Amino acid sequence: MRLTDASVVIRPRTSWEAIDLGVLLAQRHRALLMTSWAIVTLPVFALLTLLLWDYPSVAVLVFWWLKPAYERLPLLILSQALFGSAPSLRQALKSLPSALTPQLIASLTWRRLSLSRSFYQPVQQLEGLDGLPRAQRIAVLGQKDPRAARLLTALGSTLEMTFWIGLMVLFYAMIPPQIEADWSWRSLLDIEGEWNWLEHLTNGFYALVLIVWGPVYVSCGFALYLNRRTALEAWDIELGFRNLRQRVLGSALALLLGGFFALTLLPSSVMAASASIQSMPEEIPSESGNSCPLPPLDNPQTDEDVAPPDSPRLLNQPLTSQASQNAIHAVLEQPPFKNPKPVSGWRIAQPKHDAQSAETPNWLARLVVGLLNTGKTLSAVFGALLWALLGITVAWVMWRYRAWFATFVGKSPPKATAPQDIPHQLFGLQVRAETLPTDVADAAERLWQQSPREALSLLYRALLSRLLTDYQLPLKSADTEGQILARIAELKQPPLDDFSHELTRHWQNLAYGHRLPPDQARQTLCSGWRKLFAQGAGA
Amino acid sequence: MSDQPSEPGHAAQHLPTLESTAVEHTQSEPATASGSHQAQQRQRAIHLAQAVRHELQKAVIGQDAVIDDVLTALIGGGHVLLEGVPGLGKTLLVRALARCFGGEFARIQFTPDLMPSDVTGHAVYDMQSEQFKLRKGPLFTHLLLADEINRAPAKTQAALLEVMQERQVTLEGRALPVPQPFMVLATQNPIEQEGTYPLPEAELDRFMLKVRMDYPHAEQEQEMVRQVTRSTRSDMLDIQPLRTLMQAKDVLALQRIASDLPVDEQVLDYAVRLARATRTWPGLTLGAGPRASIALIRGARARALLRGGEFVVPDDVKGCALAVLRHRVRLAPELDIEGLSVDHVLKQLLDQVAAPRR
Repeated sequence: MRLTDASVVIRPRTSWEAIDLGVLLAQRHRALLMTSWAIVTLPVFALLTLLLWDYPSVAVLVFWWLKPAYERLPLLILSQALFGSAPSLRQALKSLPSALTPQLIASLTWRRLSLSRSFYQPVQQLEGLDGLPRAQRIAVLGQKDPRAARLLTALGSTLEMTFWIGLMVLFYAMIPPQIEADWSWRSLLDIEGEWNWLEHLTNGFYALVLIVWGPVYVSCGFALYLNRRTALEAWDIELGFRNLRQRVLGSALALLLGGFFALTLLPSSVMAASASIQSMPEEIPSESGNSCPLPPLDNPQTDEDVAPPDSPRLLNQPLTSQASQNAIHAVLEQPPFKNPKPVSGWRIAQPKHDAQSAETPNWLARLVVGLLNTGKTLSAVFGALLWALLGITVAWVMWRYRAWFATFVGKSPPKATAPQDIPHQLFGLQVRAETLPTDVADAAERLWQQSPREALSLLYRALLSRLLTDYQLPLKSADTEGQILARIAELKQPPLDDFSHELTRHWQNLAYGHRLPPDQARQTLCSGWRKLFAQGAGA
Repeated sequence: MSDQPSEPGHAAQHLPTLESTAVEHTQSEPATASGSHQAQQRQRAIHLAQAVRHELQKAVIGQDAVIDDVLTALIGGGHVLLEGVPGLGKTLLVRALARCFGGEFARIQFTPDLMPSDVTGHAVYDMQSEQFKLRKGPLFTHLLLADEINRAPAKTQAALLEVMQERQVTLEGRALPVPQPFMVLATQNPIEQEGTYPLPEAELDRFMLKVRMDYPHAEQEQEMVRQVTRSTRSDMLDIQPLRTLMQAKDVLALQRIASDLPVDEQVLDYAVRLARATRTWPGLTLGAGPRASIALIRGARARALLRGGEFVVPDDVKGCALAVLRHRVRLAPELDIEGLSVDHVLKQLLDQVAAPRR
């Protein structure tokens, strides 16, 4: 490999520029690359299709898996074409077996899924490295451009899918509408054979897509690799020197000849001096390569030779050098020496040179920085103001629409806590247990004499109170008597149900129909109450 | 009135004599109502109403609540707007009612090209007598079925306004009363809004109740399918076997008895509070007007009669509140966007307005 023979301009490029170069490289040798790729892959594809006729998906998977093997040949061609003449198709195919064999297993197994495959491929194929040296080499190469290489692979797979689907759609578009009308995927699925050929046809599209994209991918990876080596080994500088030498070689010869002639024409008195100069090198034979002698070392044993800090003698002392070093480091990390403190704000960039730029005077720069810092403070104040405004707005909205919220928001939580906050008043009746007499039935019987209305009201109130406390019925003030009866019916307690119906009937007759209850109702209602709530009457 | 018993097609033929005489009594001697006599009349009216309900339930299966509402409107002297998807028996219900009710029945199929004169009637020139004669439209009847009322343009819908409120039609400058009782049963279809004209608020307000028909329950639907497939008509329930239970006078008597039912001040207050609550209720942009309060009380009276009660209780008001209010309020747009319906908001309202206090 001779750099001067390179067919591309060797200079450091950005990684994307390098990929672009790879595309151009593949474009220049497209016929050779694509033909050779097709000659290698299409037979493999045909063989796989025949072997795995019943498993089209497996066939295309295997074909895809073997991609690193196909990529060997394009790299071989590209490497020869870059530093010399491109091989002919026959030569390339002849050299394929030798290029294919080394490290093929590794490429097809554990390195298969590497995203930087094309970038590192030249390391194993062109440099022939394996094992630890390869790993080290890859570590060096991969310090800079691995991201571009990975993105290249991701982009490549996307392009492959795009072209593949594009070809399938193209194929579908080619079907005449008459046939398309009968195009039923179900029927195709039903007939085994027909489905398989279609699958294999789409697999074939993938093989066709790879003929175009495969060489480009290899070429781009190769260009990335070249670019990395150019940067690492300073190929461009080397090339520069070589050009310089070529350019300067002729004139240097003339200069030497001129100098020689000038020396021979000098007077002889100087010859003694020159002789003494020529004898100098003999005095220091060991430094024969140097034109100037090293200064003599007056004390070859330095302090470190006598007692280095980690010598046992020093380590055994009460204050070891290790401890003192630690102490020194600790002191150096502390405030007088280091005082890290995050400070943010606008300030003038430190001028690289002492020279002031004439365009921006110092006071103007200071003014700008001052303004910027004021703006920062103001923005903080403004931010606080905005947050406060937001909070106030939310509070105002909640207050303004409190009725709306009370009606529509958070309806379920109060329902859950209904047993706790029992309404104290239903239909204007006090239903709290404290407002009721201890023996409701007795009190009602006594009241009945004076005003039956009071007695019935007391009984109904007591019933509601019992329903709220003993039976935990979620009664609301909006519930009508009928709804309360319906809720009681849900309890499925016939005695309570009957009593409630009876009481409600008398109560409604009195309250809405203005009809006094018959006298025997007193007896039935009071005894009914006693029967139902006898044990809890004193509560 | 006195010739009533001799009428051959009268309900008395089919009904127990007790009920028919009750209706007789209510009509012939309204002024001599002693307490017990009034109670007797009321009992008979209740029996009659319940018999009609029972008869209607035989024809329209699985729509008991709707039947109750329609009878409520009939007894309350109001009009009904029936809303429901096709095939739920809206028209069947009205035809069955007309069958049970011996009065006149007319039907107008509303179409986009229906003119007001097609509804109310118009003057035609009579060649022989050489003068204009009024030809009365289908409005002059007892029961009017306005089928798919929202298919006609606003002009034709407005032709109904006068007759619905004032029970009279002005033709050629003359106000002609329609026969009593008069009841409009309009149907409309909640889907298929293409090419329909939504009823204006003024028109909606004149309907006492807007009744939603929903799908029947599974077992009721099974029963319905069983009966329909057994009937001679291809896809409809036969209303032929229904008995004619009452005449126009009986309906008037029912209406009068219902309006005589006592309403306690607290119940009245409850109805007014319900209607007023819709005006300030968050979630409703438009509340119900005073017609709503009136309709609530009339509906409650009718329901009390149907229930067999002798006075109105808050349950009667609450029972018809949804049907009375749902077409008189307008939902706030934000709740509409949230997908809440008017019924949902009204149910919340009914859950929050306190029942009468005593």
